[in-house]
Amino acid sequence: MTDIIRTRLLTKSFQSTEVVSQVNMTVKRGEIYGFLGPNGAGKSTLMKMLLGLVQPTSGEIELFGERIQPGSIEFLKRIGHLIETPVFYDKLTAEQNLELHGEYMGYYDKQAVRESLQLVQLLGVENKPVHQFSLGMKQRLAIARAISTKPELLLLDEPINGLDPEGIQDMRSLFRRLRDEWGMTILISSHLLSEIELVADTVGVIHSGRLVREVSLETVRQSTTDYVEIMTSNIKQAAFVLEEKLGARRFRQINSNTLRVYGTDLSEEALSKGLIMNDVPILSLNRRHHSLEEYFFDIVKGGGGHVASDQAGA
Amino acid sequence: MWHLIRLELKKGRLTGYIWGSLIAYGVIASLLMLIYFVEGIEGADPVFQSYPDMLFLIDVLIRATFIIYASVLLSKLMINEFRDKTIGLLFAYPINRKKLIAAKLLIVFTWTFLNVIIANLLIDALLILVNSQTGYVTGPLTGELLMEHGINVLMQAFGAAGMSLLPLVLGMRKKSVSATIASSIFIVMIVCSHNLGFSLSSIIAIPLSLAALGIFLTYLSFRNIHQMDVG
Repeated sequence: MTDIIRTRLLTKSFQSTEVVSQVNMTVKRGEIYGFLGPNGAGKSTLMKMLLGLVQPTSGEIELFGERIQPGSIEFLKRIGHLIETPVFYDKLTAEQNLELHGEYMGYYDKQAVRESLQLVQLLGVENKPVHQFSLGMKQRLAIARAISTKPELLLLDEPINGLDPEGIQDMRSLFRRLRDEWGMTILISSHLLSEIELVADTVGVIHSGRLVREVSLETVRQSTTDYVEIMTSNIKQAAFVLEEKLGARRFRQINSNTLRVYGTDLSEEALSKGLIMNDVPILSLNRRHHSLEEYFFDIVKGGGGHVASDQAGA
Repeated sequence: MWHLIRLELKKGRLTGYIWGSLIAYGVIASLLMLIYFVEGIEGADPVFQSYPDMLFLIDVLIRATFIIYASVLLSKLMINEFRDKTIGLLFAYPINRKKLIAAKLLIVFTWTFLNVIIANLLIDALLILVNSQTGYVTGPLTGELLMEHGINVLMQAFGAAGMSLLPLVLGMRKKSVSATIASSIFIVMIVCSHNLGFSLSSIIAIPLSLAALGIFLTYLSFRNIHQMDVG
């Protein structure tokens, strides 16, 4: 699989503040790459750098296998985009806006305009001026515009903003369709994990301008394991018993009375029996699933992994 | 370039610009007729003492109008693109940014140039025709005089078209429509104010130098446009 986007130590500073910091990012052809991070993490700035709208302070960008130089424009023919809020020439109709886009892109195809309007379910309102559109409709129209020239790469910055739940679902299946049937590579940014989780093949987590993790969602799913959470009033004793008597080596203290035991073969019954027999008072004991959310939360918090062995009270 | 100009006109709706110009012609003509009839016939000291006087005043009024009109066009074509953030769309097209800007500026320059010439032709003809009936402005109307006036109008039109870009330099700093229009009014007040048959623009070097300055400063403003961060 070839790489469509590759950045090396990509950095952008505004008035000596680094908004994007030494980002090494790789997006492979034909994948949906979820770009996850809180508001203000640098997602939009990075996407603008890919489009040449913002000049990097340092670092390199390679798109479609070629390094982007200041003033390069040819590569833009192959990209569709929606960055931040959708903007249009409001007095023109939806269709006129898309036709204008096609003319500027050097890809004028009336049929493609209608097809993309149909894909976002805006056929029927194409002759209305855009200023009469709701935010959700504008968002759909911006997606239609981005795909109307059948680009190889689609950059979508928070594309589901302003959409209703049904609209969000439609867009999700549209993105998958664009990947599977049209062979598009899609970079989608969002601050919502639940959104990225449902469409992305690979996730890049950005926090305070740094790309802190780039990982395939499949790998994440495999590594998000079950654990047993134990609440006890004597955490030192519990840790001792777990390690010395029950042979559980991977556990972590969550707070002053909670422990999590990972990757153990012991059942809840065996654990509770073992602890009680060794005079550890148990307030509660439950098996839980370590969610994707916690996985990414840990990354952002700087934990790196979630199954570090951490001896209680040691 | 022609393609880009065509797209700009499509975006801004050319018919709207044409109506604007026609209305401006009408207003200038009406104002001049008002001066001609109200001031002229009764007044002891007529405004139009001779044909050169009359043609000069018509030209000044037309240039003042279209320099301000140009600032409205600049606001629409340039400032609004930055304010509405549609410039982010435009600069993400596979087209050289300088060409995109040049297309816009060329529209404003040509529009001002042509309008000053056309308005002069129409309104001069109208007032000469009216005067031939009432005969209030006396003096010879020779071919030589008309030729001289014609050349002057051409140079003044070029001056006005170049000068009309100056407000953009100021307006672009804050991406402000009001600053653009206000600075055009300021330029008009200085260059076109008319006092006892004299205005700064009578010395043809002044409008031509200002035009050169307008073109040069605009070039400087957009010289590094391909490195500019947008949005």
